[in-house]
Amino acid sequence: MTSPMLQINDLRVHYRRRRLNPFAPVQAVHAVDGVSLAVEKGRTLGLVGESGCGKTSLARAILRLTPITGGSISLDGTRIDALDGGALRQMRRRMQYIFQDPYSSLNPRARAGNIVQSPLDVLGIGDAGTRAARVAELFGAVGLRPEQQALFPHQFSGGQRQRLNIARALAPEPELIVCDEPVSALDVAIRSQILNLLTRLQAERGLTYLFISHDLGVVKHMADDVAVMYLGQIVEKASRAAFFSRPLHPYSRALLSAVPSVKGGRSVAAQRIKLAGDPPSPIKPPPGCRFAPRCPVADARCHEEMPQLRDTAPGHWVRCHRVEIENGVPTSPLS
Amino acid sequence: MAGEPLLSVEGLCVEFKGARGIARVLNGVSLSVAAGETLGIVGESGSGKSMTALAVLRLVPDPPGRISAGRVLFRGEDLLQASTPRMRDIRGNKISMIFQEPMTSLNPVFTVGAQICETLTLHLGLRGEAARRRSIELLKDVRIPAAEQRFDEYPHQLSGGMRQRVMIAMAMACEPSLLIADEPTTALDVTVQAQIFDLLREIQKARGMGLILITHDMGAIAEMADRVAVMYGGRVVEEGTTRDVLDHPQHPYTKGLIACVPDLDQEVGERHALTEIPGVVPSVWDLQQGCPFADRCDEAIAPCRTSMPADVVSNGHRVACWQRPGERA
Ligand SMILES: Nc1ncnc2c1ncn2[C@@H]1O[C@H](COP(=O)(O)OP(=O)(O)OP(=O)(O)O)[C@@H](O)[C@H]1O
Ligand SMILES: Nc1ncnc2c1ncn2[C@@H]1O[C@H](COP(=O)(O)OP(=O)(O)OP(=O)(O)O)[C@@H](O)[C@H]1O
Ligand code: SF4
Ligand SMILES: [Mg+2]
Ligand SMILES: [Mg+2]
Repeated sequence: MTSPMLQINDLRVHYRRRRLNPFAPVQAVHAVDGVSLAVEKGRTLGLVGESGCGKTSLARAILRLTPITGGSISLDGTRIDALDGGALRQMRRRMQYIFQDPYSSLNPRARAGNIVQSPLDVLGIGDAGTRAARVAELFGAVGLRPEQQALFPHQFSGGQRQRLNIARALAPEPELIVCDEPVSALDVAIRSQILNLLTRLQAERGLTYLFISHDLGVVKHMADDVAVMYLGQIVEKASRAAFFSRPLHPYSRALLSAVPSVKGGRSVAAQRIKLAGDPPSPIKPPPGCRFAPRCPVADARCHEEMPQLRDTAPGHWVRCHRVEIENGVPTSPLS
Repeated sequence: MAGEPLLSVEGLCVEFKGARGIARVLNGVSLSVAAGETLGIVGESGSGKSMTALAVLRLVPDPPGRISAGRVLFRGEDLLQASTPRMRDIRGNKISMIFQEPMTSLNPVFTVGAQICETLTLHLGLRGEAARRRSIELLKDVRIPAAEQRFDEYPHQLSGGMRQRVMIAMAMACEPSLLIADEPTTALDVTVQAQIFDLLREIQKARGMGLILITHDMGAIAEMADRVAVMYGGRVVEEGTTRDVLDHPQHPYTKGLIACVPDLDQEVGERHALTEIPGVVPSVWDLQQGCPFADRCDEAIAPCRTSMPADVVSNGHRVACWQRPGERA
């Protein structure tokens, strides 16, 4: 068993809300609320979850771009949640981030070549010659043309900008890359190219990925393990094979059934598990199961008591009262 | 196809001036959408999908860009000839657009509530409490949790997907006859996406709204679009009913695109590399004479490199490819 490259324990990220008057109670958005995860070296953890459930906050906390409310984060055995100054900068070199929003994460006044080179400049890696060569190599690797180095971000299409982001993240040869929706702005042909590129780099350099995506097809292709998040908490965690062959949490099942397919079209769309109701508020999470207000199989207990994350089969964790285990085999309450 | 088109784009060309000369970003784009109908646009990244949408609304940055040819007929009126005040009226009250990048189109210094209210005041004359009530209703329609609290928040306090939903709410605020949605659901999980799609379909049914849906998600196309147009290199290379195009793609690029979609139904066994379309997209600065896909196409023949194939139409399925000869349009 290898040691985990990334280990997160009971991580919390709460955003305090501005009070409208000084006597109002303090409110906070519980964006990440007690998340524990581990990613082994050289592997990919796929993180899926509903929009607004805290995936980007988790990613930003790992990279120390957002203040942490509680819990710990270790990179390759070293606690990084308390690092600052030079030690943090050294650690930064080992982890990079591919941002979700390809436009606002690029400096509009910098030329594409300089953008990709910037981490090398900031971290003081190589000399002018090797930096230029590295940038040229990266442009090729992500399918951009050499002459496009001279252009500004607004002269690129959305997908082309995302490729700049990817090239920039790869520049300092990090060990861990947190990819936040890295391919959702790309057409499927380029998407395959980028995913194959990420896979190849992982095989060649032993990279570790935390891979956030809404596209379950992509996650199924990329991830070794899958974690599902709902309203700040992990609700299911399993190996890729276990998750896709036997998803247990009702939210996971709803997710998988809602994926629009090219073959299916409208007829399949009509058969999916429909979630009624609205996602609950992360400011005042419901007392019981956080999925209960939308869960098609919730009972009275679900609304009152919060389920714990428990292992229902070796390595298959789920947070749901109604998952039953019969003869060692867990079954989902929703089929 | 249902009746007279709501919007019909004919031979649209957009050029950009740069240090290296003139780039043809759109090269004779023709499309149409009827009331109540959904036209999907898919295509390579950089093929001109967003530019087509911008050109319809006359929002191409000028200079360096310029609409150099074509017509954009909205209910028969050529928008390329319309006056500036008329265009302002069209943009607010008739055609709404959801832009690809929410952060660049939401104003960071105003709360989302203020921004939706402003739209409502401008286009429907709603003010004060009425505007606030309607805004919160719209936020609830797009499934934003805790809508009352979110009303007072700034864009940076929202997640990527919430920003997208705010954009959708703002676009719906002016009750448009035509909605152009540029990648509206990329940051949403599929359960919320399904709810948004249901909402759009309901509005289409109730009000006969036309919808142009630009997306990279072939599954979303299969589910939402009545017809689909496939773009490559500033042109529409294939167009037809969604089932026709997805089940019987004619253009080699469309075939490649469909082959690249990772299949969720596949067995969980061993993984293999995803299908790619090799090669890089041609630069818009290199004036090409042949088919823009020729360099990457495994079916290319001699004429592909020298002249652009004309459209061939049969049974409402249009394709521009030298390998598909037939009665030329
Ligand atoms: N800077 C901030 N200030 C206050 N609240 C914030 C801030 N950033 C995020 N939030 C809130 O934290 C919660 C989680 O947001 P986050 O961006 O992490 O979600 P996400 O899972 O990445 O969603 P998406 O899939 O839509 O990108 C949301 O309720 C969001 O409004
Ligand atoms: N201001 C500009 N100056 C020069 N070229 C531009 C400018 N804006 C866009 N382009 C070019 O126009 C082409 C079409 O861009 P557009 O944004 O329409 O692509 P798209 O099909 O929407 O792609 P994506 O799927 O990546 O969003 C691209 O090749 C892009 O590089
Ligand atoms: S605990 Fe209850 S409400 Fe929560 S997911 Fe399980 S069945 Fe649904
Ligand atoms: Mg996010
Ligand atoms: Mg675009």
